[in-house]
Amino acid sequence: MKDQVAVIGVGCTKFGDLFETGYEDLICDAAFEAYADAGIDPKEIQASYLGTYLPGPSGGKAAVSLGDALRLYDRPITRVENYCATGTDAFRNGCMAIASGTYDIVLVLGAEKLKDRGGRGLPRMGHPLLAKGNSAPGLFALAANRYMHTFGMGRETLAKVAVKNHYNGARNPKAHLRMEVTEEKVLKAPIIAWPFGLFDCCPTTDGGAAAIICRADMAKRFRKDYVLVKGFGLAVTSGRPFFDPTFDYLGFRSTQMAAQQAYAMAGVSPRDISFAEVHDCFTWTEISNTEDLGFCKKGEGGHLAAEGRTALTGDIPINPSGGLKSFGHPIGASGVRMIYECVTQLQGKCGERQVKNPQLGLAHNVGGPGAVACVVILGHN
Amino acid sequence: MVGITTYSVYIPRFRLDRALIARAWGTPQPAGEIAVANYDEDALTMAADAALACIEDGAATPDGLYFASTSSPYCEKQVASVIATVCDLPRRSQTMDFSGSLRGGMSALIAASNAVRAEALQDVVVTAADARVAAPESEIEGVLGDAAAAVRIGRTGLLAEIAGVASVSEEFTHLWRTDTERFVQAFPGKFSNTYGYARDMGEAVRAVLSARQLEPAAIAKLALYSPDARASADLAKELGFDPKRQLIPSSVPVIGSAGSADVMLSLAAALDEAAPDDWIIAAAYGEGADAVLLRATAEVARRRPARSWKQWLAGKMALPSYEKYLKFRRVVDVDEPGEAINNVFEYRELKQDVRLYGSRCEACGTVQYPQARVCIKCKQRERMADHKLRKQGTVFTFTIDHLAANIEHPLPMSVIDLDGGGRVYLQVTDFADGEVDIGKPVTLTYRRLHEGGGNHNYYWKARPLR
Repeated sequence: MKDQVAVIGVGCTKFGDLFETGYEDLICDAAFEAYADAGIDPKEIQASYLGTYLPGPSGGKAAVSLGDALRLYDRPITRVENYCATGTDAFRNGCMAIASGTYDIVLVLGAEKLKDRGGRGLPRMGHPLLAKGNSAPGLFALAANRYMHTFGMGRETLAKVAVKNHYNGARNPKAHLRMEVTEEKVLKAPIIAWPFGLFDCCPTTDGGAAAIICRADMAKRFRKDYVLVKGFGLAVTSGRPFFDPTFDYLGFRSTQMAAQQAYAMAGVSPRDISFAEVHDCFTWTEISNTEDLGFCKKGEGGHLAAEGRTALTGDIPINPSGGLKSFGHPIGASGVRMIYECVTQLQGKCGERQVKNPQLGLAHNVGGPGAVACVVILGHN
Repeated sequence: MVGITTYSVYIPRFRLDRALIARAWGTPQPAGEIAVANYDEDALTMAADAALACIEDGAATPDGLYFASTSSPYCEKQVASVIATVCDLPRRSQTMDFSGSLRGGMSALIAASNAVRAEALQDVVVTAADARVAAPESEIEGVLGDAAAAVRIGRTGLLAEIAGVASVSEEFTHLWRTDTERFVQAFPGKFSNTYGYARDMGEAVRAVLSARQLEPAAIAKLALYSPDARASADLAKELGFDPKRQLIPSSVPVIGSAGSADVMLSLAAALDEAAPDDWIIAAAYGEGADAVLLRATAEVARRRPARSWKQWLAGKMALPSYEKYLKFRRVVDVDEPGEAINNVFEYRELKQDVRLYGSRCEACGTVQYPQARVCIKCKQRERMADHKLRKQGTVFTFTIDHLAANIEHPLPMSVIDLDGGGRVYLQVTDFADGEVDIGKPVTLTYRRLHEGGGNHNYYWKARPLR
């Protein structure tokens, strides 16, 4: 699988409160930017994978929402949904479709329109009685509190992640929240779900992102600096970890297992990764991710963040884009947006937020209450 | 011999200081507090709490459960059967609801003792609760309080024998609520106390005394329903009792008048202090009166509940505002989150969701919830046995959520490792600041979770151990 699939074009809309933009506009803007980046005629797209978490009221319902937005008819389109790992899983499915030899050129697109729903974006779902009262911040806070209790970590360490990601995002023209914050501001913000305050949480965002992938042996036709897919992995664990008496709440096995698969496929170790776009839906999640992805040992993620090692100039820059925290988190789009960031970083096109001389970039989503994780590793050709 | 084998009390944790009512309306209120059921409580949940306390302590399984209330959450649908299921009683149990009259609790107790005496039943739980609402700014607004009590009636292991019953029945309109009204109405002035309460109650108490040829002085404890702070003392005096020595003081000053549960709470207070061979009278009022004569047995001290009436009174927390009270009782419009739960769902998961059973893997012994076909630990298939979960546990982790879909915030959510196995994930209720934390002990309580599908939806929550 390694080096068989190439990314030849990427596109990404501005992320934010896009009240003047519809769901199909997001698809259009992301896709046509990717077409232009690849220098490809849309007619050459043989199949497409659409990553969208929520259908309606102004979101995708099925594959047809991509077909209609792009007038891309008469060929296979598949909608992928896998919690917050939707985007990277759509990309993974596209890669497998090419690697299987079925298609030569595939469009992977993630789009999400959360702001049209009003309020906080995500509707209540699930069992009418069991686990009632849960929320996304609340579910991750369960883990954060247990982790902080176990390792003796305080909220000020969480705040350092927010400060760093806002710093990066402020240097990213497409990011949702383009402002820097101070540790004091983060710590004094209203509490959302203890221990998370407002700035420990990613925003609710609209956005779309796209990637065009093809057989590696034909990538040169499109550009010289194409990027190769080195490895990927996906792992599913319990969607209701709160009922699992064996779960220690100190990290997510889904991420650990997905990362192992990706590292094995790429034939690399965590030390070889130059930078990573990880799923910082909440500040604690980033700290735990750096451990689960193998950048440090369990319990050391807070030190990694506090010592500046995950900053743009650190030895393992995490979320140079600003991450979900600052770039925003339109669920199905986020994973594809991470692919966009990894590709543009590897191509050296990130300006102020450019990581120095990157060789391998890693994209990571974790969804549900840590239930689904997907990891993709990308590198130079 | 028929009598009481166990009893229990449930008083909600919140109290509303009458000064807050006085401040809201600019009208005077007597000193004291009313007990206020939490936003997720009602007569069903409080009665369930009281019934559970009577049952979990006992070894045997009751074969009947009677529920009494004038503020049942259902006008059509039996609540006793819900509570019996919550208490995990067998399907072959006799359940009945007693509604309409404030003496429903005592009527249910008499009905249960008749059934046991006739050997139709062996062991009946009688649980009574009320969470009545008066119109804002009305005369009785500061009088009504919320609470529950339960007694278990049987033939063996008695702590008090039922030695006599006397009833009076007559049409008299004192307190009422029509089928279309939300608020309890009262006829103003002293007329009702004199011509209704004192007349009916007096006649019933005298009748139960004379049947056994007892003088008032022979009675150790007198437990009388009281419509206000003074009426029961006035009546006791008029009947020849010494209120100071014999009467259980009206609970109106400390928790308000708890309707169907009121006299049962006073009876519990009497039993808490009774010595062997003490005579006790308990009398309830409403469109007549029921008086019951009891005699404490030698077992009375040994069979008292873990938590006394006085402890329940002391374990309280002040409601911060009158407005919270209006919200808790839905006197103001509340945007209730909820989605349709349907009957099929409820039917299929009754054992898991209401009786609170998990599964135990017969291969590796792991207790797990919700019920499962494949073991979460050893992945063995179809070796899962039903396992009744304990209702005490310890917080493994938690959060305090300020934005979760709920009518009250913040909402603590906790992952709890139950004593005896099983991990559950529940809302925490009745908490004070600092009480929800890793390692804290909690107990489970059946509560109103949300309104969905045009119905009340109940489920288990956790509350800090008090």
